[in-house]
Amino acid sequence: MTEITRRSFSLLAGASLGTLCTPLFAPSVLGQAKPRLVVIGGGPGGATVARYVAKESAGAVDVTLIEPLKNFTTCFFSNLYVGGFRDIKSLRHNYDKVRKGGINVVPVMASSVDRDKKLVWLAGGSRVPYDRLVIAPGIDLKWDSVPGYSEAAAQIMPHAWKPGAQTELLVKKLNALKDGDLIVMVTPPNPFRCPPGPYERASMFAHVLKKKGYKKSKIIIIDPKPAFSKQAVFMEGWEKHYPGMIEWQDPKMHGGIKGVDPKTGEVKTDLSTYKAKLANVIPAQMAGKIARDAGLADQSGFCPIDPESMKSKIDANIFVVGDAAIPGDMPKSAFSANSQAKVAAMIIRAELTKSRAFPARYSNTCWSLIAPDDDIKIGASYEPGEGKIKQSTGFVSQKGEAADIRKQNYKESVDWYNGIVADIFG
Amino acid sequence: MQKGAGRVLVTLRCALACGCLVEAMCDGLTAYSADAELGRYLSTECMTCHGASKADSTIPNIFGLGETHFVGVIRAYRDKTLPNPVMQTIASRLKDEEIAALALYFQTAKKPK
Repeated sequence: MTEITRRSFSLLAGASLGTLCTPLFAPSVLGQAKPRLVVIGGGPGGATVARYVAKESAGAVDVTLIEPLKNFTTCFFSNLYVGGFRDIKSLRHNYDKVRKGGINVVPVMASSVDRDKKLVWLAGGSRVPYDRLVIAPGIDLKWDSVPGYSEAAAQIMPHAWKPGAQTELLVKKLNALKDGDLIVMVTPPNPFRCPPGPYERASMFAHVLKKKGYKKSKIIIIDPKPAFSKQAVFMEGWEKHYPGMIEWQDPKMHGGIKGVDPKTGEVKTDLSTYKAKLANVIPAQMAGKIARDAGLADQSGFCPIDPESMKSKIDANIFVVGDAAIPGDMPKSAFSANSQAKVAAMIIRAELTKSRAFPARYSNTCWSLIAPDDDIKIGASYEPGEGKIKQSTGFVSQKGEAADIRKQNYKESVDWYNGIVADIFG
Repeated sequence: MQKGAGRVLVTLRCALACGCLVEAMCDGLTAYSADAELGRYLSTECMTCHGASKADSTIPNIFGLGETHFVGVIRAYRDKTLPNPVMQTIASRLKDEEIAALALYFQTAKKPK
């Protein structure tokens, strides 16, 4: 068993965990040199907390980020890769600048949390003690929420709702389609990561088919929800750019999702069976496993938090940010996670270094591309209220907007991407 | 405001206007005791979009922006006399003292490298 501290991490960087066999015990909280923050998950929520605590505390807090991936591929903007607007490499970001910010980046999977002893156990048996812990594992998929679907089935019917290999598989299948082939999307119930995402993805599918000159292919969206984010402007855009190509079905239209069969490519609803050449099945979602195993999730599968701090309602030493949290009125998005992380970082510093605390405030904007230079957006500000993170004001793109506004939206979204990844990864 | 919060008196002048509209927005002298620490915290919201701005970005560089210019622009977004719903939403909840605190921060802040 090995306990990882700042001192031992320099060893870890050049050695496997198995080679570290001497327990190195960090001093206890009382009288220790520095308070310890440990962050599980190096995405938009976790990496942002780590960077902001490290930067703002100027070395007064020992910050460790546990993230097994060498390169993080952003889920946000991955639809633009699907549509051929970006290269997959442009979505990948490493942790070099995070390390340069004085953060111990531990490239190992966190396997469990011992809340009583305030330890994170790593794959391989090492452990990392903490004074405050941030859990930002993102989502896990509820495979059985769609009958017939499974982790194995995802190799045939990709979900591509976690970034990386799944997204590349989806694009490979999309690019192999012939004119007349059918795409069927099964979209998730609320709450789920990136509410406008499935509908932007349908737009990108249609864009690729249109660009190839396909006239006979169709995209059918089987939706368990009666409505979706930015619906009016999406549907207007579909009719404008891809007339007759995208068919959205709500539960009244399909009667319920009965299941999928990866062997035949069939997607069955109560009223029809579709034989899809490309089935994109996005199942229901829940908080990442480590958060659920730590007992931080409620019956919803996500983690309740205090809206004033992003602190878990179940453990006062743990903060949950990003898609794993129950964010009240906020959507699950990278922007939201980044925003929540800054509130958590501010509170963590106040608790660990007695720095000043301020009232929490949050914000979010989500951009979605319908077609080249036709980009729509939705956004809002949020504050604690009524026991949750409550929306205080907001906006959404309107039908019939001028083309130059939509074009400007797209440019703005690209600039936003550059801004937020710099904020997250340095 | 708390003791030791790095308070600095900021006089909001309108000499460096970014146009007649903004100049009109801050017509008359207004003084706030700007709170540097508050400005630093509030600025984290701005960093999500503005941290990597370049000369040709639709999202402008706000680091080193003069305080008067900054105050005028944010007030114009708050009053919806400047377009862009993202900035109108962000600005809508900012009180005058919070805008002053942000202006104080960004006047001297350096863009991250």
